[in-house]
Amino acid sequence: MKKSIQNLAVGLICSVSILACSKSDTSTLMPVTAVRVNDIPSDTIVGLSAQGAPLTNGKYTFYSIEKNAIVPNADSASTKWDIAFMSTRIITNGGTSGIGQGGAFVFTGLFDALTTIPADSVFKTDNAPASYAIPTGSGKGWYNYDGLTNLITPLAGRVLVIRTASGKYAKIEIISYYKGGVTLPATASDMDKLTKQRYYTFRVAYQPNGTKTF
Amino acid sequence: MRFSQLSIQILDSLLYSIHLCGVKKRRLFFYFILLSPMSVVAQTRMANDTLQMLGDSVVITANRYARKLSNVTVPVSIINAKQIQEIGAIRLTDVLKEQPGLTMTSGFGAGVQLQGLNPDYTIILINGEPLVGRTAGVLDLNRIALGNIKKIEIVKGPSSSLYGSEAMAGVINIITDAANAMPLQATFRYGTYQTMDAGVNHSIVNKSISYQGYYNYFSTDGFSIRPNSTSRTTTPITRYTINQQLKYNFSDHTNISLSIRATDEKVKSEISVVNGGATISSYGYEHNTDQNFNASLNHKFSNKLKTSFRGYLTEYNGRQDLLTVAGVPYYDLLNHLFQRIENQTDWNISQQTNLIFGAGTILEGVKSNRYDSEQIRKTNSIGYGFSQIELNPTKNLIVIGGIRFDKNEAFASAFSPKISASYKINENNKLKFSIGQGFKAPDFRQIYLDFTNAAAGGYSVFGSDQAQKVIAQLMNAGQVGTLYNTYYQLNTLKPEYSNGMHFSWDYESSNKTFLSIQLFRNDINNLIQVQQVAAYVTGAQIFSYLNVGRAFTQGVEVESKYQLNPNIMLSGGYQFLLSGDKDQIAQIKAGKVYTRDANGYSRLLSLSDYVGLSNISKHRAQFKCNYHDQKGFFANIRFIYRSRWAVNNTNGNEVFDNGDEFAKGYISVNSSIGKEYKNGLSIQLGTDNIGNYVDAVNLPNLPGSTFYGILKYQLLNKK
Repeated sequence: MKKSIQNLAVGLICSVSILACSKSDTSTLMPVTAVRVNDIPSDTIVGLSAQGAPLTNGKYTFYSIEKNAIVPNADSASTKWDIAFMSTRIITNGGTSGIGQGGAFVFTGLFDALTTIPADSVFKTDNAPASYAIPTGSGKGWYNYDGLTNLITPLAGRVLVIRTASGKYAKIEIISYYKGGVTLPATASDMDKLTKQRYYTFRVAYQPNGTKTF
Repeated sequence: MRFSQLSIQILDSLLYSIHLCGVKKRRLFFYFILLSPMSVVAQTRMANDTLQMLGDSVVITANRYARKLSNVTVPVSIINAKQIQEIGAIRLTDVLKEQPGLTMTSGFGAGVQLQGLNPDYTIILINGEPLVGRTAGVLDLNRIALGNIKKIEIVKGPSSSLYGSEAMAGVINIITDAANAMPLQATFRYGTYQTMDAGVNHSIVNKSISYQGYYNYFSTDGFSIRPNSTSRTTTPITRYTINQQLKYNFSDHTNISLSIRATDEKVKSEISVVNGGATISSYGYEHNTDQNFNASLNHKFSNKLKTSFRGYLTEYNGRQDLLTVAGVPYYDLLNHLFQRIENQTDWNISQQTNLIFGAGTILEGVKSNRYDSEQIRKTNSIGYGFSQIELNPTKNLIVIGGIRFDKNEAFASAFSPKISASYKINENNKLKFSIGQGFKAPDFRQIYLDFTNAAAGGYSVFGSDQAQKVIAQLMNAGQVGTLYNTYYQLNTLKPEYSNGMHFSWDYESSNKTFLSIQLFRNDINNLIQVQQVAAYVTGAQIFSYLNVGRAFTQGVEVESKYQLNPNIMLSGGYQFLLSGDKDQIAQIKAGKVYTRDANGYSRLLSLSDYVGLSNISKHRAQFKCNYHDQKGFFANIRFIYRSRWAVNNTNGNEVFDNGDEFAKGYISVNSSIGKEYKNGLSIQLGTDNIGNYVDAVNLPNLPGSTFYGILKYQLLNKK
């Protein structure tokens, strides 16, 4: 308990200091550059059961957009993370998922074309298990699942517009769900399809100044 | 038989000679032509063995009565017994895969794609009667043994004006030999993977009776072309086929004909299903039986007026029994019963006018464990009438107009008109044109399916008739989370329609050269597609069927033959094919479809990246060289090319474009040599897929190189 309060405190100080930073940046309007993030594991397969069913640890991978870094699971109840991954599900730090101001919606269009988040956009928050800000399920949020090939393919032309734990804005385009950053071919072996899945490659642009423009 | 028995009767002697010519019994043939009233025609045919035969071959399928190929107004291909025999073909798939414009598909058995349309849209007939027992729309053409086939007729383009549902892309009619000249013929073929095919034909022909019996046994060990895998791409199969045909002539004016055909196939099943990452292996057998019975009474009132009554009954029963490795039983059942009574009257009103009209009634039903109850047969009854008129206003012009109306109990009715014409410009050149509408009725699964895959995430698929009812029940039980807009669009399914058009130019010169260039276009509306209509509270999907799609296929087909010298004939075929989903094209034009660049970043898809429908090759080509000599020796080599085709959507946009996954284009080369001896014995050796091309994922039915030998003995009819 003591530790979590400590964490929270550190988190708060961090966010306050960044808030302070970004405020000073607004005057200069630094261009936002997108970074590519490779192979973030997302509850990867750790083994097979006796029946051949895949086994995982069932834990989220927490990720800070601000710092472009994975956040330890111990900090799950903090505002240190902005989004978290578990298999195909992506949650944001808000609503039923976290204590931050996080939210999101899925924008249909091109990543580069989204220079300003439209004023009438509605950010949703997670309301587990009924709904998530980034909808789950094939064809509904960010991916498509092909039952014949058992492959997950990120939908082209989808941008995840994220409100971070501290209320800033970011945009993310998921590129691949497989290790190496490229969706496996249908002909890949079943073993490869199991062991190489659940690795996110995406590009992200973060606007630290609190505005909705990128 | 669906076509007129009487016209066959008239043409018996002619057909006889064709058949004899087909099996190359020249001496015998000579006796026959002396007797034949058609000896003049026959004689020219003998002089020019192959090419001349083309235009003079009799086609039944195009008009529902016999016409010479040169007087037919729609695109037709004929494959005769001799061609089938010389390529060592034993199942229908073996011969269709080498034909111009046809593509074999795999998945739910071997189906055939015609003018780019899926196997669902081509009706398969045996002697004019339809085969039933399709799985997911595909009729497995390996079910059909070729040992007693006289010829195969393929009509391309919508033919519903004569044949009703399923004849949307075309018709494949397999014509068996009711009056084989040989009293006895036995064939044995053995090849790679212990593939064995043994057949016996015997027949009795005299003035009042013609009888033919055919028995076939086929077995194969199957093969595995997946590296490091024990599971076979084709599993061990045994099949039996029996066919009995009897025709009895009461008088010159009246005859009756009876036919029974039965096939029984047992397929060893080894199935592995990946479910949520877990691989579940099951073992067992699939047992499929198929029986057809038909009877027809044919009467000729005069030389100008004749009629026939036909009754047909067929039943397909497919049952798969599996046990998983953990010992859990699983089975799948499909039983399809089809009964039909039909009358057709042919009236030759004048030299210039020929009229046929007919009517019939169909009662069919399906039982399946994938419907709400496998005990209750889902049924549909159809009443239909059709008429077709052929006019020859001038010597060189033929105009044909036809119309058919199908009234269905279970879904909307269909109206199928067609107009076609041919014009002989001169001795060598002919133009043909046709325009018509074809349809495919919704099949039973699209109406009655009630299937929940409890294992794979609990998704459900409900037929259109079931969906609203079942979803309402689920809603009352509080199991439905969301209703989609598509739910409110659920309605009685309408048939899928195709408007087909074709234009062709045929050139034939001095019996040496034949060239045909054909343009075609099919516009398909009301395509029935699976759509998500609701979601369970758990998020699992609920699907049903809706008339939503619009698509097209269009292309060019070229067929050519060239008689290099009396012994060598060269032939070639080419098809260029384009296809597309019209709604997808509209979306692309509106800038709403995305794809990915080399970095994996999204970009807008341009129309030039779009490749159309999956499983369609833009280019297909065949080249064949056939050698025959007077001593009964023959040899051939055939090259069959198919260009790449889209198989999987890998760049996340649900349309097929250049960034998706394609199966590689390939060439398969097949060859065969053989000799027929005067005493009735013939031997043959052959090899298929000489280049050993293998694609385990996309071409599971294509083994590597295979070899075979055939031994055949015919007891000659010493009349």
